[in-house]
Amino acid sequence: MLLDVILFSFIVAFLRGGRIKNIPTFHKLPFLAASLLLQLCSALMPEWGGGFVSLAYVCMLLFFFYNRAHEDIRIFLIGWLLNSLVIWTNLGRMPVDLELASKLPYSIEPIVNGTDFKHTVLSEATHLPFLGDIIYMPLPIPRLISVGDLFIMLGTFFLVQRIMNKPISLVRLRAGKHYAARH
Amino acid sequence: MRPDIEIRRTLVSLLVRVGYPLAGLMILYSALPYWEMREHWSILIGYTVLTIICTFAPVSTYHARLTLNNAILFSGILLYGSWIAVWCAILEILIVSSLVRSSVSKAAANAGQMLITVWVASLFRDWMFGAFDASWWVVLDLLLILIYWLANTCLVAVGISCFYQSPWLETAIRMVKTGTTTYMLLMLIGGLGARLVSAYGVFAFIPLIAQIVAISIVFHRYFGGMKKLEHLNDSFLVTLAASIDARDPYTHGHSYRVAHWAREISQVLGLGKAQVDEIYYGGILHDIGKIGIEDEILKKEGKLSKEEYAKIQQHPVIGYQIVRQAGVFDELLPAIRSHHERMDGKGYPDGLSGADIPLAARILAVSDAFDAMVSDRPYRKGLPVEVALERIEEASGTQFDANIAEKFVKIIRNYPPEEFEIIMNKKGHWKSDSKEKTG
Repeated sequence: MLLDVILFSFIVAFLRGGRIKNIPTFHKLPFLAASLLLQLCSALMPEWGGGFVSLAYVCMLLFFFYNRAHEDIRIFLIGWLLNSLVIWTNLGRMPVDLELASKLPYSIEPIVNGTDFKHTVLSEATHLPFLGDIIYMPLPIPRLISVGDLFIMLGTFFLVQRIMNKPISLVRLRAGKHYAARH
Repeated sequence: MRPDIEIRRTLVSLLVRVGYPLAGLMILYSALPYWEMREHWSILIGYTVLTIICTFAPVSTYHARLTLNNAILFSGILLYGSWIAVWCAILEILIVSSLVRSSVSKAAANAGQMLITVWVASLFRDWMFGAFDASWWVVLDLLLILIYWLANTCLVAVGISCFYQSPWLETAIRMVKTGTTTYMLLMLIGGLGARLVSAYGVFAFIPLIAQIVAISIVFHRYFGGMKKLEHLNDSFLVTLAASIDARDPYTHGHSYRVAHWAREISQVLGLGKAQVDEIYYGGILHDIGKIGIEDEILKKEGKLSKEEYAKIQQHPVIGYQIVRQAGVFDELLPAIRSHHERMDGKGYPDGLSGADIPLAARILAVSDAFDAMVSDRPYRKGLPVEVALERIEEASGTQFDANIAEKFVKIIRNYPPEEFEIIMNKKGHWKSDSKEKTG
């Protein structure tokens, strides 16, 4: 999914002199597991897919919420919330802009004929279309992303910096200081 | 409290806590259809990226750190209309309120404030560019900046006056005094940038960014120099205060502690950095007049005679004269002279009452009394903190300003116990202390 972003973040963190010391711990992991399980269910039972995906997003939001002590998770929370809004209002499916999707190297057939259980075609009837997948990101892996995904990518970057023991604090950046306090 | 003040306060509170967010919601709702238009999406995305970057790239000034977000909002209003500015404002609110812990009501009021500002400015924009030819932008943009700034300042001042119970006009004037020119500068850049980009395309960002980077470097140098000067000033004041306390070893650190609590109070009252600093230094120098009082009286154990007491009562006036003659800290004079005044007018040296007593002096009166009660003296042990707080509560309204006393009691009750211990044990080595907290 975000492999290129994750890799890029690791490279930046490595160049900044960061190394993995210990893996950060997360609270309420069952919510994460439930979210993944629900996504799996949606793939197995496509007729209920929308409901399962919507629920999976609720679980994921709760997971982030309980881990909000870290800034990177809060950025995830924003991105996930924006994505959730558009997925909930469109009955569990992320609307995709076909015009841009046709630029992608893979087939858009499943989205058009409805066999893609997580995506749907963005049309006049779509709710909150501006939060759908409307940004064409050509590099490094061509894909369509949403505004929420921008935040999720940002959150990923900061999470990786923290994992590599070189955290960047957004609050301190905003206050005009460049580095986070070491823990 | 007088009933009409009570009613006014309730109305202001209603306006800020309910009116602001409601208006914000309505403005948000009115912007939705514009966001749904496909031809607007590239603009939305561009401004999303700009907003994220600007939220984390502040321009530091002497008094505050400003972000370019207002400039971005303004450029959006100029080029496209309120909908794009509403979008940016919502994103900024989302980011900031998720990162910085703040109460829901404050965040909602702030969000409403931003959206109303945007709405007012774009209303004027639509009217102005409808009524005048487009080539008038050279003047109209400037006028619009003024309107934007005016709306923003008034709305924020009303908000602050609601949450911190300070008069809004005073708050507005203070905001104008401390941050306006930089604010205007950033808005001007936003306006010019918008025109440049609309005329020459995205690459016009290159000179724009260069300009902003150059400005922040200049600011950094300039304000760095000022900070150095301020530091010199600091060490001078601290030396003075140490010499006051050194005369009486048992009150060692008294000036420091009074200054510290006064600063905590003024921060809770929502005063600006400049005023908070002023009150802090007022606290450090408040007893400077004791230099002019004989040791026998100052260090006397037991009861003072009437004449001796009258002499002690002279210390605010002596301090006032010393500092006035020095002619450098004029802004501290009211705090030094009036810190023994009482709300009911029974204080000294001038017998001022109520709002006639300068705010700084009212704050110092509370923190001075508190420290005098809880710290040990040669002839008696200090009172327990809780008893001292109860006495302050009892004297609230007669000796102390009720609002300040209430805030102070709350501050002390909620203070982390370890930090409280550290402050109470401070005996003069205060150089390295919490200067950073002022920020």
